[in-house]
Amino acid sequence: MAHPLIDLVHISKAYDGATVLDDLSLSVKENTFVTLLGPSGCGKTTTLRIIGGFERPDAGTVIFDGQDITSLPPNKRQLNTVFQKYALFTHMTIAENIAFGLKIKNKPKSYIDDKIKYALKLVNLDGFENRSVASLSGGQQQRIAIARAIVNEPRVLLLDEPLGALDLKLRQDMQYELIRLKNELGITFIYVTHDQEEALTMSDTIVVMNQGYIQQMGSPEQIYNEPENAFVADFIGESNIVPGVMLRDELVEIFGAKFPCVDKGFGVNRPVDVVIRPEDIDLVEPEKGTLTGVCTHLIFKGVHYEMEVTTPDGFEWLVHSTDLCPVGKTVGIHVDPFDIQIMNKPESEDEEAVGVNE
Amino acid sequence: MNKKATKWLAGPYILWMIGFTVIPLAMIFLYGLTAADGSFTLENVAAIATPEHRKSLFLALGLSLASTVICLVMAYPLAMILRRRNVGRGSFILFIFILPMWMNFLLRTMAWQTLLEKNGVINGILTALHLPSIAVINTPWAIILGMVYNFLPFMVLPIYNVLVKIDDDVINAAKDLGANDFQTITKILLPLSVPGIISGINMVFVPALTTFVISNLLGGSKILLIGNVIEQEFTRGSNWHLGSGLSLVLMAFILVSMAFMAKYDKDGEGTAF
Amino acid sequence: MNRAKLKRLIQDFYLVFVLIFLYAPILTMMVLSFNTSKSRTDWGGFTLDWYVQMFQSSTIMDALYNTLLIAFIAALVSTVLGTVAAIGINSMGRLPKTITMGVNNIPMLNSEIVTGISLMLAFLAFGISLGFKTILLSHITFCIPYVILSVMPRLKQTSRYTYEAAMDLGAGPVQAFFLVVLPDIMPGVLSGFLLAFTMSLDDFIITHFTRGAGINTLSTLIYSEVRRGIKPSMYALSTVIFLTVLALLLITNFSPEGQEVSRGLPPTEAEKAKKRRLETARKALLTAASFCVILAVSFTTYRHFAAARSNELYVYNWGEYIDETVIEEFEKETGIDVVYDLFETNEEMYPVIEAGGVAYDAVCPSDYMIQKMIENDLLAEIDFENIPNIDQIDPEYLERSKAFDPENKYSVPYTWGTVGILYNDKLVEELGAKPPESWLDLWDEKFAGEILMQDSVRDAFMCALKPLGYSLNSTNPEELRQARDLLIAQKPLVQAYVIDQVRDKMLGGEAAVGVIYSGEMLYLQELAEGKDFQLEYVIPKEGTNLWIDSWVIPKNARNKENAEKWINFLCRPDIALRNFEYITYATPNRGAFDLLDEELKQNKALFPDWDSLENAEVYQYLGDEADSLYNELWKEVKSK
Repeated sequence: MAHPLIDLVHISKAYDGATVLDDLSLSVKENTFVTLLGPSGCGKTTTLRIIGGFERPDAGTVIFDGQDITSLPPNKRQLNTVFQKYALFTHMTIAENIAFGLKIKNKPKSYIDDKIKYALKLVNLDGFENRSVASLSGGQQQRIAIARAIVNEPRVLLLDEPLGALDLKLRQDMQYELIRLKNELGITFIYVTHDQEEALTMSDTIVVMNQGYIQQMGSPEQIYNEPENAFVADFIGESNIVPGVMLRDELVEIFGAKFPCVDKGFGVNRPVDVVIRPEDIDLVEPEKGTLTGVCTHLIFKGVHYEMEVTTPDGFEWLVHSTDLCPVGKTVGIHVDPFDIQIMNKPESEDEEAVGVNE
Repeated sequence: MNKKATKWLAGPYILWMIGFTVIPLAMIFLYGLTAADGSFTLENVAAIATPEHRKSLFLALGLSLASTVICLVMAYPLAMILRRRNVGRGSFILFIFILPMWMNFLLRTMAWQTLLEKNGVINGILTALHLPSIAVINTPWAIILGMVYNFLPFMVLPIYNVLVKIDDDVINAAKDLGANDFQTITKILLPLSVPGIISGINMVFVPALTTFVISNLLGGSKILLIGNVIEQEFTRGSNWHLGSGLSLVLMAFILVSMAFMAKYDKDGEGTAF
Repeated sequence: MNRAKLKRLIQDFYLVFVLIFLYAPILTMMVLSFNTSKSRTDWGGFTLDWYVQMFQSSTIMDALYNTLLIAFIAALVSTVLGTVAAIGINSMGRLPKTITMGVNNIPMLNSEIVTGISLMLAFLAFGISLGFKTILLSHITFCIPYVILSVMPRLKQTSRYTYEAAMDLGAGPVQAFFLVVLPDIMPGVLSGFLLAFTMSLDDFIITHFTRGAGINTLSTLIYSEVRRGIKPSMYALSTVIFLTVLALLLITNFSPEGQEVSRGLPPTEAEKAKKRRLETARKALLTAASFCVILAVSFTTYRHFAAARSNELYVYNWGEYIDETVIEEFEKETGIDVVYDLFETNEEMYPVIEAGGVAYDAVCPSDYMIQKMIENDLLAEIDFENIPNIDQIDPEYLERSKAFDPENKYSVPYTWGTVGILYNDKLVEELGAKPPESWLDLWDEKFAGEILMQDSVRDAFMCALKPLGYSLNSTNPEELRQARDLLIAQKPLVQAYVIDQVRDKMLGGEAAVGVIYSGEMLYLQELAEGKDFQLEYVIPKEGTNLWIDSWVIPKNARNKENAEKWINFLCRPDIALRNFEYITYATPNRGAFDLLDEELKQNKALFPDWDSLENAEVYQYLGDEADSLYNELWKEVKSK
């Protein structure tokens, strides 16, 4: 069984009085693909830089393989980073870039040459040894940055939004490359991104962050299907978040209609937030629906239609469905019990943020 | 834009350049390559080989090289500290290091005369402290000092401008790959700032090589640099042909220096402005 | 943690070290500008006198006006021309563009001295006389490249589609340019203007070569002043300039964006508001500053042109060689405007007259130079009908003048004197030397580093020719070479070769002995009163140069009658007396001499008996060949 390789213990960090990380704790197991996901300014990059050693936390400790490395400079850490804008050394050839870390460690020349060849093969850029950095496309530079990091055989590879600067097609290709690489190398990846789709595609574990706090941590399926608060629900995929009242276990009232669900333990007549994914809403004949509404908007999206159904209370439900419902038609809304996700209503914004941390 | 029509907008300036840049330069060649009677000669250029001209040229080369090296050694750490402090272009800290550059150049030089004179401010302070006084004024050292003082900002700026363009993550990447501070500087920062260094060297070396003001004011007219020789050939009216001939020699050095710059700073990254 | 702290400490220390290096000289000047005492090491109390002196000095104020006016016009013209040119260049094909930009870069990359010389040669070759307009043309020439440099990048960023969009929406090409393109490149145009303005303000070298008569910018004025000895008003000027530059740059350069924290944190509303306020304040200040400059420039221009100049006189004289109130009185009495310009040595004056870049009306050269000018047909005969006051000149001097002006047709003596050694009695004693009485005492090792020699060819060679027993008019190459060797042998002992600075340095106790013109002696002795040393003057026993400075009128003078009025005015005994009292050079004016105190009349250093001047000689013009031999040998001395 995998044991924790990196432990962040009660990390806090502030810049010029503005708190970026507040008492953050996080464990990363060996040989997993962990993604730190969140909007810009949520502290994910700072977390990564603290692990990499480029920033020192104001409080808390960083444990790596059982050892406190909080004040260890980056050049002494057994991990390597792939930077957002690749940070290749423009005055060196590709081979020199890749060889940089090995030369610093005074590895023999034949070893270095082998490693360069191996790494270039790994990132599908064989024969690029003597090219200059400027002659490479963004995607190629990205691969070189990865090659430059992995030749040092780090136990952890840190990736700071490495695909951010690439176009959509290339980004998708690179996602598969990264998964393949991770499987081939068998090392831990800690990946920072603000792109939820990227996170869902690649990760073993996703850590959703906002305002310096961890909002939820879990597998992609858990994060998507069982968001623990409105922020996660809203940030991951599209969803309808509606106010509701938990009448009793397994029954929730939304806009006066009673929906059976599978959640328990919220007490009786307790106001809650209800999350329903657009693709989980079934449009049925009006008399069969739990709620009825009028379709007010319709767009064809290729794989499905995107519709808006407005219920008498004025709420616009977002619905994804392969069945077409013309604008102006009255329809019933039906949701299966296990597609309804109940969340505690936050009493303040701050509570929403702390939410899952304890 | 309509290229056919707009390109003629450069017309007036091209005429201006011909009148005030090209023709004047041609005049130097005309004077430099002719004798007083108008006949063609290479004597004025060859005159650089006479002992006194040769000496003044070598002295100028020596002093300007020395001050260029001192400027570089002083400016590089300064630019690096300024970069590391994240001061940013247009910040106040950078501003105060550049400010003296905009002070009148003659007044700056005059200030050092005041400081260095035998009964000047520095010796006054040294005497008050019962320390031996220094005799720097009217020596080559004073000239080097004057050059360094006057031209230091011209070295700091281009180096700084190149250094700030280096992404923090490039430095982080080097450290991440195991380089210590020293290795980061020698293997990453220095090679990447070559355009700025070359441009700085140019901006210090050329004016230092050709100066006549600094040597005049701080050298007590005892030390003739090639700039002084040329200036005197014109203002004391001895021989304009000779003065032009020697200017041609000087231009050759400037050309070498420029070619050097063109080679290392292709994109014009390392500018001071 | 400690290591990081130590590193930061070392960095701070280094920053402070460089700051001290950069600012110590400037601060020193600021402090000295408030010092009552002229000495650089004593604090004599606080005063604003030097500032008053500076603002009252018409030379400084005129130079300031010229500097600002030239900078303003040059910046304006080069901005318009440069911006238009940049647009043109931007739409050129590759090759023409490369060539144009290459030529454009020449003034920026070339050494200023070469640019200055080349422009001077071109102006003179095409018969453009040096003056305000040549400075202006030169400044525009070296400013345009900077404007293009700052406009070009902006222009490249401007998409041609915006221009086309404007046309598409119905704007004509000119309208489209002014409505769309110009606003887009405006920041570049503005910074180009500012850059050009500062470059022009700061230029010395190019101005030095292209300026003409009666015109100084601050830089050229400072240069000639500093070479004459630093006056405290120069410190005051430095302080004012420094503070002005500081204020201007703070307003224009110090943009609030610079303070942005580069952490990627979005700025808060309060920060944004603060930034906006700062930006508004900055813009307001910038507008106010430019408005003030424009106002000042136009006001002074108006004043200059309001005082119409039809009746002029161009005078070219030695530095500090007249009581300036005399000029004012002359202007008042005759209604003639005097344009007054200075030279430092005869050798510097001659090519200016010869080249004719400036048409001077009255010039005051020395004996041998007058002879050279006569022989080269540069002088006009003076109409003595217009100079009745010639009677006041002692006939003895007119007689002596025949050595260089055989028929007394071209010159009117102004001052005369000898060349001798001034020594500081206290320093001489401290050095264990005896008071000098021979030129050879200037070769005494005891005076190492304490000797000030004259930085002019003839005077320097005179000091060596006389003790060798040769004539100071020797043209014998062998004799001259011996003199050269003697001067080379002396060079290690010499503190500096100076001209007018000898006064300041002797007075400041910088040197023990200095070669000096007799006229300076009286003035220096007066100033040295109350110091702990005395300055004594000796005429060395081997004999010396008896010199006469006389007024002459160049052939190309445009206002010859005014020049004669000027010379006649200066020969008036009361005026001659005032000039004598101011410059303290012996006067050949009998009327003025008669008005002197008995004590002064008896001063043998000032007015030596003719018998004692047996060995004294007047310089003669030795011909071009001998001249260049002198120059060559002198260069050999200087470059050793």
